[in-house]
Formats: sequence, C-alpha cells, structure tokens
Amino acid sequence: MTRKTAGPLRRAVRLRSTKIALVILGAVAVLGFLGGTLAPSDPLAQDTSNLLAGPSGAHWLGTDYLGRDVLSRLMDATGRSVVGAVEAVTVAFLLGVPAGLGSVVFGRVFEWVAQRLVDAVMTLPYIIFAIAVTGIIGNGRDQAMLAIGVLLAPLFFRVTRAAALAFTRAQYVEVAELLGASRGWIIRTHIWSKVLPTVAVTTAQLSAAALLAVSSLSFLGIGVKPPAPTWGGMLSSDLGFLAQQPWAPAIPALAIMLTAGSLNAIADAIRDTTGIAVDPIGRGATRPDAVPALPGAPAVAVPEQEERIHA
Amino acid sequence: MTTLEISPAVEPAGAAAEPPAGRRAGWGRAFARPLRSALSVGIPVVLLSTFITYAMGALTDTNPAAQVLGETATPADIDRMNHYFGLDRPLLVQYFSWLGHALTGDLGRSYFTTLPVTDSITQALPVNVSIAVLSVLLAVLVGGGLGIGAALSSGGWFDRAVTMLCSAVATVPPFVVGIGLIVLFSVTVPILPSGGYVPFTEDPGQWLRFAILPSIALSVDAAAGLARQLRTSLVGELRANYITGADVRGLTRRRVVFGHALRNAAGPALTLLGYSIPQLIGAMVVAEAAFNLPGLGKLGLDAASKGDIPVIQGVLVTMIGLVVVCNLLVNAALLRLTPHAKRQER
Repeated sequence: MTRKTAGPLRRAVRLRSTKIALVILGAVAVLGFLGGTLAPSDPLAQDTSNLLAGPSGAHWLGTDYLGRDVLSRLMDATGRSVVGAVEAVTVAFLLGVPAGLGSVVFGRVFEWVAQRLVDAVMTLPYIIFAIAVTGIIGNGRDQAMLAIGVLLAPLFFRVTRAAALAFTRAQYVEVAELLGASRGWIIRTHIWSKVLPTVAVTTAQLSAAALLAVSSLSFLGIGVKPPAPTWGGMLSSDLGFLAQQPWAPAIPALAIMLTAGSLNAIADAIRDTTGIAVDPIGRGATRPDAVPALPGAPAVAVPEQEERIHA
Repeated sequence: MTTLEISPAVEPAGAAAEPPAGRRAGWGRAFARPLRSALSVGIPVVLLSTFITYAMGALTDTNPAAQVLGETATPADIDRMNHYFGLDRPLLVQYFSWLGHALTGDLGRSYFTTLPVTDSITQALPVNVSIAVLSVLLAVLVGGGLGIGAALSSGGWFDRAVTMLCSAVATVPPFVVGIGLIVLFSVTVPILPSGGYVPFTEDPGQWLRFAILPSIALSVDAAAGLARQLRTSLVGELRANYITGADVRGLTRRRVVFGHALRNAAGPALTLLGYSIPQLIGAMVVAEAAFNLPGLGKLGLDAASKGDIPVIQGVLVTMIGLVVVCNLLVNAALLRLTPHAKRQER
C-alpha cells in the first residue's frame, strides 16, 4: 500500500466492466433526477382501452393493469428507488465509519460498547425491523431508510475497524504518536487515506444491498405512497397478472439487477486494482487475523466474510 | 457420521483418555460455550430492540386507543381502553410489565382483535420454521455440492461457471427469484401452486408442493455464498501439507477430500451459513408476500399497517429468537465438526 491509490483507481476505471457499470449508473443517475420529466407519458395516466398491452409504438414496454405506460413508470420510479438506497447508505456511513475509526483510537470502553452494539444489531433481520419501525413511527421512506441504515451501519463499522487496525500498528503511526501528534491528526493524515479504498468498496457494496432492501420494502408497500411508482411496487402489481403478462416482472427486476450489479462491479474493480482485502472470498487472499467471527463463534481461522448482504 | 473419527496423529495427547461414551457429553460441551455467547448477544439485543420499539411508540403522538376505536370514540372510551391495555402507566412500568409477561410466554394482546399475541405467533411460526429448515437444507446440498465441485475442478470450466453464477445471483433479491420461479413453474409449466400453504403436520406431500418454490427462492443466496466460501477454503486446504501427507500415505482421493480437507474447510463455510440465516429469515418476510404464505411476516406486516404494537413487538422478538437459536446451532455444529475449533477449545 505504499503506492498512491490514484494509480490503481485509474486502472479500475479503465477496466471494461467498470466502464459499462459507470455508463449504467450514469443513466440511472440521470433518470433519477429527470426520470419523471423525460418519460414519454404521464406515469399515472390510465389508458383504459389498452390494459395489459404488449410492447407497441405508443407504449414501448407495454402497459400495466390500469393501462399505465410501463416505460414511463419505470423511468419515474428510478429516483424514488435510488434515493431511498442513498439515504440508507448515508445513515449507515455516518454511524458506522466514525465509530469504526473511533473504536481503534478511543480506548477500550468505547471499543467494548461499540462491539456489543454491533453484535446486537447484526442479529436483527433488516426487513422485519424496518417493518416494525414504520409500523410504529409511520410508513414513510425516511423512517424505513433510517431503520435500514442503522442495520447496515455495523458492516461499515467492521470493515473500517479492520482496515484501520492494520495501520494503527504501522511504525509511522508510532513515530507520530511519539512525536506528540494528536489522535485526530493521526487519523486524518495517516489512517484515513489508507482506509479510504476499503470504505469506498464497502460503500458501493452496501449501496447495492440497500437498493435490494429498498426494493423489497417497496414490494411490500413500505416506505412508498401507493400511486407513485417504484421498482419494487411495480413488481408487486405485476405479480397479480402473471397469467396475462408473465414477462412483465422482468422489466423492473432487470432495472434492480443492472443497478445493483453495476455497483458490485465497481466495488470488485476497486478492490482488485488496489489489492485491498475487503472481500477475499472466491479470490484466494485470506487474512485470518481480521476475523469478524459470528457472535459467539469459536475461533476458527475464517477469511473475512463477504459484506454483500441481502435484505 | 463415520468421518467423525479423527486419525490419532491429528488428535492431541490426552484425548484418548476420554471415555468412549463421550459423544453425548461432547455435544453437551459443544453447546455450553455457544449457549453462553448466544445468550450474551441475544439477551441485550432483545432488550434493546424491544425497548426501542416501545420508546418509539410512546414518543410518537399517535394514540393507539384513538386509532383503534375510530372517530366515534368518546374520551371515556379511550380512557377505558388505555386502562385495559395499561397504556395509562409510565413508559418504563409498561415496558417492564410487558417484559415480565414475555418471559412467561405471554406477549400481550392485539389492540385490534384482543387475541393473545402468543396464539397468533404459534399459528404462524411453523410456516417460517419449516420453510427455513427446507431452504437451509437446500442451500447446504446445492451450495456444498457446487462448492466442492468447483474446488475439485479449480480453474476449469465448472469452476468458472459456478463463480459466474454466484456473482449473478448476488444482484437478485430472493423475492425476485421467487417471482421468476412462479412464472416458470406455476404459469409457463403449471405444475406447482403459485401461492398458499398446507401445514406439514396435515399433509407432508402437499406441504412440499407449496413450500418448495419459496424454499428454493430463499436458499439461492445462502447457497451461492456457501459455494463461493467452500470453494475458496477447500482450494486452500487441498494445497496444505497434511493433504500431501495423506496422499503419500496412499489414502483414496475421496477419503482425503471428504475425510480431511472438507472438515477443515467446512468451518468458514458454516460460519458464513450462520450469517446468512438471519438474512434468510428476513427475506422470508418478503417471500411470504410473494407466495401468499400465512407466516410471521404477514402477521407483522398486517400489524404494522394498523399500528398494532403488541403484535409487532411479538413478531420482532420471535424473529430475534429464531436468529439466536440458529446461530447457536451453527456454532455448536462448528465446534463439534471442525478439528481446528476443537483443538482451540482444549
């Protein structure tokens, strides 16, 4: 890790898989901001003479059970689906990364409390917790995403902590400590830049995970206001008309898969070109010292677990 | 279970002194430590999450009684209902009274139906448990098989195909896999029902017809993770010196792979399986909606849409309990099955 990360990052961008992924994510971002205005027709307008129609010149992807244009709904849904994921990952980042860095630097009490909280939160199944939270404080996107963000935070915590731990024992950090540098200064100058690629990979992976969680929740009707389209909500309404349109769920499903797949591809590219071991599974490199063992697991030499989690 | 015997060369001294009747005692001991740590994680998480949900309920200005009784309720009606459910007491008193009852198996009553929450949960729970068991079995069989196959053909086409399949699967939420399965096996080739449920105790054959599609959908993720992890660790183990030693001693390839390498490689894979079980249980909530199953997820979802807090609490506690029990079982199995962990235990 002595070389600068700019080189490997540029190499990551040069990979073909990264280019394709960036194009897809760019399109998703554009649709996210402008989807509703770019859409060829009103995503809520009902064309009652054209219910459950197949693809045609007027409706490129056909119409749904109320005669609404599927392409327009898909485009309009992009923003709503993606913003939720971004919210959840932001919450998780803000909770997990500082705590992960802090657990390495701020002594044993902080570390112990943070570890116990992480063990506890890891046990909660995401979706049911999000359902419970929205059932109590109201069924809105912000509430649902807060819940998902809290439950994703431990993954940020673990990864950041493991990455930072490796560098706190470095000699240049010891030297800085001996020279009287403050903990905050050491984190900013020495540790953060080394932890950054790991955090970037985790952010990409957890964004994919959050997108899947958001889609699952909107499939259940959580965190959305009904007439407004979401990818998960489109899947849910397609489910009722499989006999007429068995191919219909493939459209929103493909949107979810392409977005999540692009995020994962970028995570893989950064990891492979920077040589960091966030996810050595299936790629050989193992670091038995950074074992995030199951709560209460016996000490088996386990390679770091893959932080790619489904809801 | 014949592969459980360990060659004396591997077993540390002193183990031979153990009475041969120690298999049962072995499981007991295998449970003791994971039980302690499962409780040390499980108890705080139950306390924390239930208190959070209680506090959230109290901090929001929604009044359950007013919501339940509707617009025609008089203030006296609301007071009466608040008193009936103990909502007129301070938050901490309410919480600890709920907790005390929960410890005896009484999770309170629904605000809306006034049915005991415990009864609704015991009705729904078998759906989740039976389907979870089936999907974990499927995950172990399919994931284990693919992982072992990939490791043995390391670098070959089968290996690459498995790796690609596992990456592709990571981008599909289980309920989307479920919808795909419904399209394939209920619409295109209508051989299986698209939704519904028959209890296992009523008719195991019918149960399997209803349970197989959701179980496959839920197992896909865990199977992919398992295959990938098992492949990596098995490839690593097969390069180890003791494998060369076993080969030199003239043991058959099958004995070497299944009797030695696999037992050491299984540890990380089992740990990963332990991680994927909470996700599997969480994903089942969504699969229940896709397959129209009368499980805990449907119970919780219906309760959440009405703000029926006792039912939400009960479902949450039951789910956490399920996760803690699964982790306990996986950890006990880990200690029991993997030689490495056993050595560390002594």
